[in-house]
Amino acid sequence: MSARDRNTERIDWGQLMYPGPRPDFSDDQLARGGTDRPSRSFLIAAAVNLVSCLVAALQLMPVAVTGWVLGLTLAALFPAYHGAMWLWRRPTRRRLLLASLAAMALFLAVAFVLRALQLEPQLFRWIVNALAALSLACAMGFWIITLFRAHQIQARLRELDERERAIAMARQLATAQIQPHFLFNSLASMQHWVDSGDARAATLLRALTGYLRATLPLFQRDQLTLGEELAAIERYLEVMQTRLGERLRFTLDIAPAALDQRLPPGLLLTLVENAIEHGVLPSLHGAELHIVAHRDHDRTRIEVIDSGVGLPTTPQDGVGLTNSRSRLAQAWDDSARLTLQRRPEGGTIAGLDLPLYPLTHAPTHTAAPTPAQRPA
Amino acid sequence: MSRLTALIADDEEAPRAQLRAALRRCWPELEIVAEAVNGVDAWDAFLEHEPAVCLLDIRMPGLSGIEVAERIAGRAQVVFVTAFGDHALAAFDAGAVDYVLKPVDDERLAQAITRLRQRLDQRATPPLPDAALQGLLARLAAQVQRPAPVDVIQASLGKEVRLIRVASIVYFESDARYTRVVHEDGEALIRTPLKELLAQLDPQRFWQVHRSVIVNHHHIAAAVRIDEGTMHLVLHGRPEKLPVSRHFQGRFKGQ
Repeated sequence: MSARDRNTERIDWGQLMYPGPRPDFSDDQLARGGTDRPSRSFLIAAAVNLVSCLVAALQLMPVAVTGWVLGLTLAALFPAYHGAMWLWRRPTRRRLLLASLAAMALFLAVAFVLRALQLEPQLFRWIVNALAALSLACAMGFWIITLFRAHQIQARLRELDERERAIAMARQLATAQIQPHFLFNSLASMQHWVDSGDARAATLLRALTGYLRATLPLFQRDQLTLGEELAAIERYLEVMQTRLGERLRFTLDIAPAALDQRLPPGLLLTLVENAIEHGVLPSLHGAELHIVAHRDHDRTRIEVIDSGVGLPTTPQDGVGLTNSRSRLAQAWDDSARLTLQRRPEGGTIAGLDLPLYPLTHAPTHTAAPTPAQRPA
Repeated sequence: MSRLTALIADDEEAPRAQLRAALRRCWPELEIVAEAVNGVDAWDAFLEHEPAVCLLDIRMPGLSGIEVAERIAGRAQVVFVTAFGDHALAAFDAGAVDYVLKPVDDERLAQAITRLRQRLDQRATPPLPDAALQGLLARLAAQVQRPAPVDVIQASLGKEVRLIRVASIVYFESDARYTRVVHEDGEALIRTPLKELLAQLDPQRFWQVHRSVIVNHHHIAAAVRIDEGTMHLVLHGRPEKLPVSRHFQGRFKGQ
């Protein structure tokens, strides 16, 4: 049971003296879930209640008082409606208390004024009773509106949160772009090693789990550091290394000063995946892969170098590359560069040349504030 | 009973072993005569063993499984083995192209085997129409990228490295561990095996005519049929005659 569940079980004695919803909504929450006006059916229900209570009350009173009570009720409608709307817009227990006190003070003031008129004592007593009933009715009405409205806003906020979480999850899976081809080829290797009791099954499973765990949270954030991105890349390379054995030889040469370079998440991973898919895998005798990063004053240069088959005759930017370019432009306009060149001795160099800090420090997404999990 | 032979090709060791194990369980009579680790090996092994059944991975270095199937051109039953994600294959689910998904599961493999057996019993021509393969190739073109064909061959000769323009080459011939490159101005030996060269050369210009011969077709003067199974090529202005093996004789049909 969570701490929150336990809290709702404890009796809040404060409600006895100072009733109303807790905790108060913030301005942001009200802007997200509390900007609507009361619906027509809600207003009709309130009116029907009011009229039936009034009819019932009038039955109890002498006919002579009816005019007075009707008049006072009609006069009270205007301030009561505005008080109710004031609570509707911000249903807090402070406002509830203030509105109820104001109603009481108003009716008390009316009672003093009427006393000055020197009415017949019998009639005056009935009027005072009616005023007391009206102020009680106002307080009850305010209380109901406040609670109803607070519940309504809470439910709406919960619904909005859930929808945003679902959208964030869908976006995350879409941007993670885990290649089904990569996944199922890894599973095919794992299947065999499990069947044949080969110890490589455990290595591959560990690397693949680490890769998935590191990759999915990557995309919850708008930016992350080179160090964080490299953690996911290393897991990816471990998976490929286990599968390919001698065919893949890789080294990482990262200057410590470059580790806190900011990157759009998954961008470097895409370049590494491309180097493997289009450079190393199609190469008859395997290939080498080097990832090099160094810092030069306020810029960082990252290169993914492979000694594979090289670019095709008419290199076309795949979806991955076009996507990467637009993400770079989003963060840096045109001061960031992504280049792809043929390596003279065979293979390809993918180069990233970035200013240390992005133009805008985009805020992290509030709907999914989970920090990126690091695999152990 | 005649032998039932098969070739399996996958560039990764574990999926290949998984396929082999599944085949042993589901089709014990099938004799796996060759295992290839890339497309050029697969094609070479096909020429060497002439198996009745070929199970080919689609994405392989050198030649793709589809390119190998195209070369096999109906001389064996072909089943593609592929990981999920090659959606192009799904379009041919109707049966034009048979395939199994990795990791191979016994049930699906058994279905493919049943169909294979039927076709082998009927001695039907394998249902791999050229159009279907061309369509597959086109769909997979984006996925299976091919580096540009080479235009220069480098051959060491003592201390110097000769650069031989591909356009000037007449033919390549396997010579033990080397490949002999015969060009307009002489000849040279290179280390690259012939089967690997095949994947690097422009197939429009260079035709394979024998397991150990690739010829620049601009230099072919005539194809001479000696008897039912023997054919050779006569070259422009050259005395030597190049053998054309049975598999490649279809290319030279009088019109």
